[in-house]
Amino acid sequence: MANFPGANEQPHDEAEALLPWYATGQLDARDRAIVENHLQDCAQCQQQLFVERRIVDEFGTLVPQVENGWVKLRASIKAPVQSQRPPLFQPLVEMWRGAVTRPPVMGLVAAQALFLLIGGGVLLSLERPQVTQYHALGSAPAPAQANMIVMFQENTTEQQMRDALEASGASLVGGPTAADAYLLHVEANGRTRAIASLQSDRHVTLAQPIDGSTG
Amino acid sequence: MNLQGAIKALRAETARPAECGERELLARVEQRDIQAFERLYRMYQPRLARFLTHMLQRPQLVEEVLNDTMMVVWQGAGNFRGESKLSTWIFAIAYRKALKARRCWPDPIEDEALHSRPSPGPGADQHIQHQKLRDALVGAMARLSAEHRAVVDLTYFHDLGYREIAEIVGCPVDTVKTRMFHARRRLRQALPGDLGDWV
Repeated sequence: MANFPGANEQPHDEAEALLPWYATGQLDARDRAIVENHLQDCAQCQQQLFVERRIVDEFGTLVPQVENGWVKLRASIKAPVQSQRPPLFQPLVEMWRGAVTRPPVMGLVAAQALFLLIGGGVLLSLERPQVTQYHALGSAPAPAQANMIVMFQENTTEQQMRDALEASGASLVGGPTAADAYLLHVEANGRTRAIASLQSDRHVTLAQPIDGSTG
Repeated sequence: MNLQGAIKALRAETARPAECGERELLARVEQRDIQAFERLYRMYQPRLARFLTHMLQRPQLVEEVLNDTMMVVWQGAGNFRGESKLSTWIFAIAYRKALKARRCWPDPIEDEALHSRPSPGPGADQHIQHQKLRDALVGAMARLSAEHRAVVDLTYFHDLGYREIAEIVGCPVDTVKTRMFHARRRLRQALPGDLGDWV
């Protein structure tokens, strides 16, 4: 059973309840006919209709000031970065992962592959459109440019990664790449300390600058 | 066909490609197309921001809840069955997220600074009158419950019919009418001057 005031109902009440949607043009033909028939004879509803339209107009001038949070949301989505990676890199990824448990000589071969992999990964990540190109005025600051790369052991937990990054003072700005490498940014005066900190972390398998600096 | 019928038909015609375009975007989002998702985000961000601003009454929560909403869209694009408009589905997610957020911060605050105000018009008196009216409306909205604010916002600012609003907030259409009836009464009571001053 309908329970809004005017349901069961006098024509006036029924029409008055529909007025907001009549004012915004959102009634179907049947409801619209009910309102229009009633409006012809009801001065109170005619007056109320003016008020409805005035409220719509007044509220329409209010513009909420909300920052566009796309950059933040985009940063929290990692899946596409992995899925868009070409399969070309998969053998190299497998080679690198296997190298962790193989004898040193194989590790040397894998390290060479890793060098190519990281170089390719960095180039690809630099070629990707930067989120900052959509940066809106007044929104959050753009992410910093990556100038370091770090890789963790396969079984490293998220918390362990966070701890390692926090201890180093570096900020995460991208990744993981197909090779599970992460792009970092660290201020120039803290780079040596950051690299040393990461390289001393037992979960880190590689930490090095990627912008030509020697650290 | 009368004039209003013709206008409605025209609106439906013009709305159809937009809805089709949105669904295409969603299909691409389901395939993890981040560019399609960004387009969808930018299409909905202004509307969701307005809706959530009124519902939450806490500017610091709006962006967070908005992003939570769109993250559900990103992760659950495949769950959209197409039985309603895409906007109905997205707004329903936003409504539930906003109610959940409000349970953590239940006390509404009246913050008229949530809204930017238009610059003064040519007539100072007229501007003051408008300003007074807007302040009264914003204040009255802030004193409504979140459920009532949602119905008012979806009706007045998003041009939705009561049936679609019922889908979004998950209640019978008569409940939507009841909420709107009481909300309008509260708004009228909060307005400065007599009803005649408005007309």
